[in-house]
Amino acid sequence: MNYTFDFSVLVGNFGPLIEGLQTTLLLALGANVLGLTVGFVVCLLAMAPFWILRLPAKMFIEFFRCTPVLIQIVWFFYCVPILFNVFLDPITMGIMALGLNLIAFNAEAYRAGIQAVPKEHHDACVALGLGAWHKTVYVIFPQALRNAIPVLMTNGITILQQSALVAIVAVADLMYAGKMLATNTYRPLEVFTAVALIYFFMSLPISQVVTFLERRQDASVER
Amino acid sequence: MNMVDNINKQQEEETAKYQGAEDNSPLIEFKGVTKRFGDTCVMDEMDLKMKAGDRLVIIGPSGSGKSTLLRVLMGLEKIDKGEIFFGSNPYITVDRKGRTRTDMSVRSKIGMVFQHYTLFPHLSVMSNLTLSPVKVRGMARSEAEDRAREYLARLGMEDKLYSYPGKLSGGQKQRVAIARALMLEPKLMLFDEVTSALDPEMVAEIEKVMLDLAKQKMAMMIVTHDMYFAKKIATESVFIAGGKVIEKCDPEIMFNEPKQERTRDFLDKVLHLK
Repeated sequence: MNYTFDFSVLVGNFGPLIEGLQTTLLLALGANVLGLTVGFVVCLLAMAPFWILRLPAKMFIEFFRCTPVLIQIVWFFYCVPILFNVFLDPITMGIMALGLNLIAFNAEAYRAGIQAVPKEHHDACVALGLGAWHKTVYVIFPQALRNAIPVLMTNGITILQQSALVAIVAVADLMYAGKMLATNTYRPLEVFTAVALIYFFMSLPISQVVTFLERRQDASVER
Repeated sequence: MNMVDNINKQQEEETAKYQGAEDNSPLIEFKGVTKRFGDTCVMDEMDLKMKAGDRLVIIGPSGSGKSTLLRVLMGLEKIDKGEIFFGSNPYITVDRKGRTRTDMSVRSKIGMVFQHYTLFPHLSVMSNLTLSPVKVRGMARSEAEDRAREYLARLGMEDKLYSYPGKLSGGQKQRVAIARALMLEPKLMLFDEVTSALDPEMVAEIEKVMLDLAKQKMAMMIVTHDMYFAKKIATESVFIAGGKVIEKCDPEIMFNEPKQERTRDFLDKVLHLK
């Protein structure tokens, strides 16, 4: 290899990267808020006893789980405005596109979390006279959330990384800023290495927390 | 008079009320109850009566329908046929379309303790005890907490109020589960093999708690594999096999000279008399 790395090109060019980073964080945060809240509602719908609620929720989950996120983003950015005459700013569109994907994956994480709550706890709720609402809010949801946290956090990191895909539709996120900088400086290796390291150091602490939580849960598994 | 005495007195008064003084009218009556799981019939047109204040012990081989009987009574399983009365009121019935109908106001008079404690692990002992009285019964939190303290003190667990279930031994968990069921002041308590998952020392601990409840004339239906305890606590005993009541009699008769051959065979096996 006769390539000489020259990271000095980054000096003085951090401004656009920081701006892109802010957009990336906004996209990831927004998508996670959608995924964590609406994901639980979709999960409940997908587990509803009535097929009329269950079927659309399941179709939604399967559609978003079974198609590439890149196609979802492209479809969302180009087809939604044409089909529904809706024009939103690119960041909102990005949050919604990523958020819809995360809702589907988080709904599945919640479902697994709910199914991991021992059946006997449902029986105990009946014996204690707890109705569906009280059972869900005070008994099932806190336990399901605890069971699902590692997967929800993993999904959160994944969407942070997948947010780089919105650069393809010209949303000025970290990846887009990197692409622009690489073009301007003719130093793609240095720029994309720096961008990769930024993604890595944002994801690493969360992934460590996930590992810690999984270990703690393994140690405290009991009925 | 302290709160413990108050609770005891209230329970005795309630029990006396449901006993109908000297009358022997049943507290619970199963009439031709059938329950199937697929092709397996676990309760086969079962008839069974239990008087108020009775401690009915249900024994029988595994798979005979003992636990199902309690689960049906708690409303955890639907029935296919028959009806169950609580006092003179229909409690569980089957409508013309074959759907089980349960009178929720009656169900709230029944408490149940399970084999595997079923304490909610994310809630402290106090929250486990007060959740239902506060959220379902609308009891003031302070009143519910006072009551929880008294029940736990009665069960020797006052120092564990704010512990989490994960920090308790099996026996302690089961005592908390009993206190949690008692918080709702049930007229009838169902115990489903509550000592099966415990080691012998803890079994004695729980049996003592149940005998204390028996002294307060709490109506109980108990499914157990511990024949010695069954004999000690029962005022009435039932032997069930194949989803049918084979024999129902005084425990003295059941455990000393059972009338039915199947009962004799079963007891001979479990008591190692053969």
